[in-house]
Amino acid sequence: METNLEQETEKVVGLVRPALERVAEALIFAADEPVSARRIAEVFAEVSGEEPPSEAAVEEVVARLNEAYETTERTFRIHAWSGGYRMATIPSVAPYVGALFHEARRRKLSRSLMETLAVIAYRQPATKPEIDHVRGVDSDYALRRLLELGLVDVLGRSDAIGRPLLYGTTKLFLERFGLYTLNDLPNLREVEELLNDPAFNRERARLLMEKGLTSGGAPAAPAEPHSKASDD
Amino acid sequence: MYRVRLQQFEGPLDLLLFFIRRDELDVYDIPIARIADEFLEYVRVLETIDLDGVGDFLYMAALLINIKARMLLPAQEMDEEGEPIDPRRELVERLLEYVRFKEASQALSERFEDRAGRFTRGMASAERSPSEQEQEELLEHSVFDLISALRRVLTEAPDEPVHTVEPEEYSIEEQSEYVLATLTLGKRQSFSALVQGRTKPFVIATFLAVLELARQGAVALFVKAAEDFYVERALPESSGDGVSGQDPDV
Repeated sequence: METNLEQETEKVVGLVRPALERVAEALIFAADEPVSARRIAEVFAEVSGEEPPSEAAVEEVVARLNEAYETTERTFRIHAWSGGYRMATIPSVAPYVGALFHEARRRKLSRSLMETLAVIAYRQPATKPEIDHVRGVDSDYALRRLLELGLVDVLGRSDAIGRPLLYGTTKLFLERFGLYTLNDLPNLREVEELLNDPAFNRERARLLMEKGLTSGGAPAAPAEPHSKASDD
Repeated sequence: MYRVRLQQFEGPLDLLLFFIRRDELDVYDIPIARIADEFLEYVRVLETIDLDGVGDFLYMAALLINIKARMLLPAQEMDEEGEPIDPRRELVERLLEYVRFKEASQALSERFEDRAGRFTRGMASAERSPSEQEQEELLEHSVFDLISALRRVLTEAPDEPVHTVEPEEYSIEEQSEYVLATLTLGKRQSFSALVQGRTKPFVIATFLAVLELARQGAVALFVKAAEDFYVERALPESSGDGVSGQDPDV
């Protein structure tokens, strides 16, 4: 009897042992928010009674799952968003899935919301005066909307005069923008690089080209002084 | 009466960038005297649209005039190392910093749109949450292109209609109906033709109505040079952007 039971147990454990892949898939599928690699490892260890697998091991099984989805032409993939894994449909089926949610129209954030959000994302923690200064306009409305949308939140108060509120982005921001951490924000381009971009200043680009200063040769230093008073 | 809020479109730094782009100016050598004057002219037009939102523009106009005055002073200001300071330097640095964030916000927008096409579970309930009611729209191209046109039309509009007994009042709702009734589907109509020979209150209300209709996606705007733009009824299924034209964004 006892040996039988042991054999049975071993059989079951044998089934479970290679199943980190399946456990990870099930957890990611069932969750309503991104599940971290660490959480998956913990849950796996807790239930199976084994040593918790490393986060790298979880990462590896997720990559294997995605490969399997790709080769079998599934309509979803696992993404690393907001510090965890999340299953989402692929863009080619978006019109169909979107229709299900009565959201056929593409949701967009207005230019002012997006600008305000960019300043907060790159400058956080940022105060409202800082945001206003960068944008040159009062960001009151935009800030309020972003708070309502849950994309930014109050992080605390600055020590500056008047103790202004400090704003930063939320976990929802990372998820809505498909970012794993804030380090994954696209780099802010350097000023020289922007000035070299023909789209910014065609005339200047042309002049630089004529002077043979095209690639990275733009003067980074601000203008030389101009004593001229009138400019025309 | 509904008012168009300027901040929702663009701010004073955008107006400066608009001049720089339009005249292909060297950012490190902005002709401040000329730009300050033109900036003020635009502010006067903007005041007719949104008196409340014009504060930020007035502040910038004051800053430009201050810089212009400092550039006229014979004695140059010096920094600690005895190097002369260009009075425009701070503004230029600020402008460039703004360009960096504008660009970053465009990159973020693209990310957002890409991500919005990937649906997750639990999305259905999130979509129904009351905090995400209205749809945000945006004008892709510079609203200042349109202001340029408005400026021209306003200078031509008669100040006082001779025969008017009561002061004229137009609401944006009325003007929206007027614009939609005037436009035939599939045919572009120039803005100046829409308001030909009308009074200033009529022109301004119509302009605001057109802006609002573009924001709602009911009409598409086509920018042609600086003196005029065209309005066309948008097809019902196109929910896209309000304005298109040959004006590339910074």
